[in-house]
Amino acid sequence: MSALSKADLWKVFARSLFIQASWNPQGMQNLGMAFALFPALRRLYPKSEAQTEAVQRHLTFFNTHPYVAAAILGGVLFHEEKIAKGEEGPERVAAFKAALMGPLAALGDGFFWLSLLPAAGAVSCALVPLLGLWAPVLFLLLYNSVHFSLRAYLFWLGVRRGDRLVEGVAAANLPFKGARLRALGAASAGGLAAHLSISFGNAHAEALGPLLAGGCLGMGVLAYWLVAGRVSRYAVLYGAALIFAGIGAFLG
Amino acid sequence: MVVWSHVALAGAWGGLLALERRAFLQAMFSRPLVAATGMGLLLDDAASGLFVGVVLELFHLGGAALGAALPENDTTAATCTAAAAAALAHGSGGTPAIWSAAILLFLGTGRLGRLLERRLERYAGRLSAKATQVAALGDPTRAVRQNLWGMWPHFVAFGLLAAVCAGLGHLLSPVMGALPLRAVRALAWAYPAMASVAAGIAIQGTRSRRPLLYAGVGALAVLAISAANLLLGPVP
Repeated sequence: MSALSKADLWKVFARSLFIQASWNPQGMQNLGMAFALFPALRRLYPKSEAQTEAVQRHLTFFNTHPYVAAAILGGVLFHEEKIAKGEEGPERVAAFKAALMGPLAALGDGFFWLSLLPAAGAVSCALVPLLGLWAPVLFLLLYNSVHFSLRAYLFWLGVRRGDRLVEGVAAANLPFKGARLRALGAASAGGLAAHLSISFGNAHAEALGPLLAGGCLGMGVLAYWLVAGRVSRYAVLYGAALIFAGIGAFLG
Repeated sequence: MVVWSHVALAGAWGGLLALERRAFLQAMFSRPLVAATGMGLLLDDAASGLFVGVVLELFHLGGAALGAALPENDTTAATCTAAAAAALAHGSGGTPAIWSAAILLFLGTGRLGRLLERRLERYAGRLSAKATQVAALGDPTRAVRQNLWGMWPHFVAFGLLAAVCAGLGHLLSPVMGALPLRAVRALAWAYPAMASVAAGIAIQGTRSRRPLLYAGVGALAVLAISAANLLLGPVP
């Protein structure tokens, strides 16, 4: 039977939302890790000395993706319970963290930061003409329905399976889903670029409408090529604004 | 004239979002689309917030905090630009010219925000060292609490920055109102250009394997729907 109650697990999960509160270049998420685990460590190690030792071993360097850190936190609880019972040594939990933080960080970065976030952002921006002020609400719903459910699932996976959480993470097949999301993001951004050029063209007098529509679409394509060729995004944005402002001042 | 209640609201929203971005939750309330629209709603100009937010969301779509790397602070750019846009409009409702002016003047605050974040990391480093010392002295409760002390400087620093931008917007509002018609028209034309460029940058920012193919499909779908609407008329 587990020494940790459901309330303890909930406390750890809730405190994991603060994992980056004191992110620092030396220990990175070390303070957040120790802070999140503390309710469980207090329960597992009632004696002061053992509790201090447990906190100290989690104040060492730690860094991973803040969402998938939930999986590692769950796995740490799995190991700490065994350490508290004397079934394994403290070095096991350190090895577990060291082995998983890098690969899970890469997985989390690739799925959440580089796929889900741009896709949800691009889709929501593309729907601004239809949804207006509800588009940001849609963005939050799209993003967080995946974010919170995966975060909770990963934590539970870590608590239940310990080292074997890797099998569960692999089964989720996040890299494949990430590639689909990135394609969706690109399609949405392309659709929005086309919509912008049409609507800006329609908003102007007949003679200038096609010029503005064509110019906007051409500017979007040119921006893509320039940024792909490592030209500064700022230079491209300010340059486009300058060109169109010049045209608008003399023709508009 | 500076509306101090707006400055205070801008500061509070800017500070809260800085915490959400870095220290707590990370549910993406701090993304430009949400942050700027929220700022617009608070300052009675939701439209300015939304239209500034769309451009900034697309512009910063590819930015990501990978490992220890720190991207530009898109939240600061969004809160500062939206606050300034709402203040420049001064209750009369935003226009593309105002959105352009705000973006052109305040887009760079994203870089300033990154600089500020790097500074604040040093403070967090001192907290980490203190936690290690306190734990060694046998007080684990106090050691782990150091984590929460890392939050307040973010709230104060980024809140102040957003408040300053709202104040600057109010101060610049008379200048905006006095611009000649030609300059206003020039700024109004700059907005669609910036939005289109931001969409092009966003295609690149999605990091898709075949970005042009997918973007082309999306664009063709929109063009086909528009052409169908034009030829067949709106569906009854």
